[in-house]
Amino acid sequence: MKTVITSTDKSLLNIQELKRYGGLFRYLSLRDVSVRYKQTKMGFAWSIIRPVINIFIFGILRYLVDRSSGFVESFVEVSAGIVFWQLLSTTITDVSNSLSTNSNILTKVYFPKLILPLSSLLVCLVDFLIAFIIFLILFFSFKGLPPWQIIFLPLVVGYGVVLCFGIGLLSATASVKFRDVKFILPFFIQILFYASPIFLSSEFILSMNIPSWIKVLYQLNPFVFIINAFKFCFYGTFENYDVTYAIVSTVITLFVLIFSVKYFLNFEKSFTDYI
Amino acid sequence: MSEAAIKVENIGKKYNISHRSRSTNDSLLSALGDGFKNILNNKGSRTSVEEFWALKDVSFLINKGDRVGIIGRNGAGKSTLLKILSGIVKPTSGRIEYEGKMASLLEVGTGFHGDLSGRENIYLNGSILGMSKKEITARFDEIVSFSEVEQFIDTPVKRYSSGMYVKLAFSVAAHMSPDILILDEVLAVGDAAFQKKCITKMNELSTSYGRTVLFVSHNMNTIRSMCTSAIYLEKGNVAATGALDKVIAQYQNYFKENVSKGISVGIKHLSESGEWEINTDAQITVSWEKNRFKPGWHCDIACYSFDGIKVFALQSHSFPGFSSMDPESNAITFTVKNVGFSNSELRMDVGIRNNADEPYSIVVENCAVLSPSDKGLPQYARQDVLVIPQTSCKANRYE
Repeated sequence: MKTVITSTDKSLLNIQELKRYGGLFRYLSLRDVSVRYKQTKMGFAWSIIRPVINIFIFGILRYLVDRSSGFVESFVEVSAGIVFWQLLSTTITDVSNSLSTNSNILTKVYFPKLILPLSSLLVCLVDFLIAFIIFLILFFSFKGLPPWQIIFLPLVVGYGVVLCFGIGLLSATASVKFRDVKFILPFFIQILFYASPIFLSSEFILSMNIPSWIKVLYQLNPFVFIINAFKFCFYGTFENYDVTYAIVSTVITLFVLIFSVKYFLNFEKSFTDYI
Repeated sequence: MSEAAIKVENIGKKYNISHRSRSTNDSLLSALGDGFKNILNNKGSRTSVEEFWALKDVSFLINKGDRVGIIGRNGAGKSTLLKILSGIVKPTSGRIEYEGKMASLLEVGTGFHGDLSGRENIYLNGSILGMSKKEITARFDEIVSFSEVEQFIDTPVKRYSSGMYVKLAFSVAAHMSPDILILDEVLAVGDAAFQKKCITKMNELSTSYGRTVLFVSHNMNTIRSMCTSAIYLEKGNVAATGALDKVIAQYQNYFKENVSKGISVGIKHLSESGEWEINTDAQITVSWEKNRFKPGWHCDIACYSFDGIKVFALQSHSFPGFSSMDPESNAITFTVKNVGFSNSELRMDVGIRNNADEPYSIVVENCAVLSPSDKGLPQYARQDVLVIPQTSCKANRYE
């Protein structure tokens, strides 16, 4: 096996190499999972408590703002958004932090750096799975069995994770050089939260008396499509479904993913000069 | 003709050091600001970015099975070279080619996580170092027993004592099996007994059949015992390469005549061979420009072994009959007899002050290296022995 290192090395994604480091990927993923709630009294119960608290807060808020449906009805709908949003937002944050939290490894050993953001995904999914079970129980007890559209669920979840991975990767790469990103990101996520149909349905937002350009902007947000798609899996109806916006959302997602991976790989080899 | 294991051609690494404002380009906003300025002025506005070449035009060839010591003073580029070789840092110019699996050990315990148990950390650290799960499992018992922490293997490592921690970390690293092994000066951790074990293990690792080793160290004795050839780096360039003795001699020559902070230190051996043999004297002369210190100055030197143990220290004013009252005096010569220093080079610090009550007005660290020769020394005396040097000293005048 011959290895060549040159200053003009332009090679990008090396799948073969990524495979060789599969073991590292596995152990880093497992490390993140087993460390997440170490030295907390309640351990993985936190994966349940955090979304439950959020569901209560925003369930009540929703009922106060939008009385078009009953309390239980809006409560269940909000919990769908919250549980899924928790996955999306932690994915963005964890992927974004994956490089700086592992900078000690980064500067001491060689490995394909893409492993770090990838390995931070597992813990987000584990958290989601736990919270999701709570949501399922809630849904079954108030709404009964979900419709056949539930089969799209893995697709929707995967789609959301891909978009958030892209955003997180973009922010992770940029934050190697510009630590400012670390401070901007929480605001960005907060804005996304309110600009997505999580506690207020998109129907409610679009029926509000606001300038139409804001409504267009709102619908261009790929998260509107993604979260409505998640609800579609449980309710069988797609709120404000519009092919144009579905396409726009998909294009944005693909663009973010491709661009972020390319940006990351281009910049990967000089990480150690900055971090 | 043996086969080349590593081929390094014209490797260079450039860093940009910005001088004016430390934070230039550190924040997105200032980068944006600079960007706008650049657009408006149509030229670069960032002032005084100095280029610093940590390595420049470094070329060498390492044959399969060679054990190469990399020596040089602090900042000569040794660690940068290792980082480029192991692929962590990308070179600015040049090309490296190597054959086989490479593992680098630049730090003990890379990626150890305090909340994980010793067992979990062995797997994590092993996989970071490039071992497969199978390899780790196969050597697990060996690693644990080498580390001497069996009893605590399921305890989180943050509860370990620092000694236990490094022992476990070293044990994982010591059980890798790459074709090319890159080692920074990390071996020898823990207590004295464990250090000895580490060095033996390292020797075993690096001498086992066909393995190529690159090893950075300041300890010439370790280099001598482990390596077959050496590369001497000086200010980012290869100053010498080849046979061990030749390169080490050249490295040490650098210290024989050294001027720093206006203090010049010279070492002269008064033996026929020109080496500091047993029972011969070395003259250490420290000199400075005239009138820099008032009559009555004090000049002290201290010599340390490379592992930091003070071997001897001399204070000019403790010598009977010594006087530095001559207003013209601007130099001092210490004469030190080698009464059995054989085990290691000694590095020297010099301090000068105007009188005994003041702190040193100048201290030059690492200003010279004394390299005792073991010629004429009986075999039994080549062990660790405590020696008390015979010394004398007098003040001189230099024009």
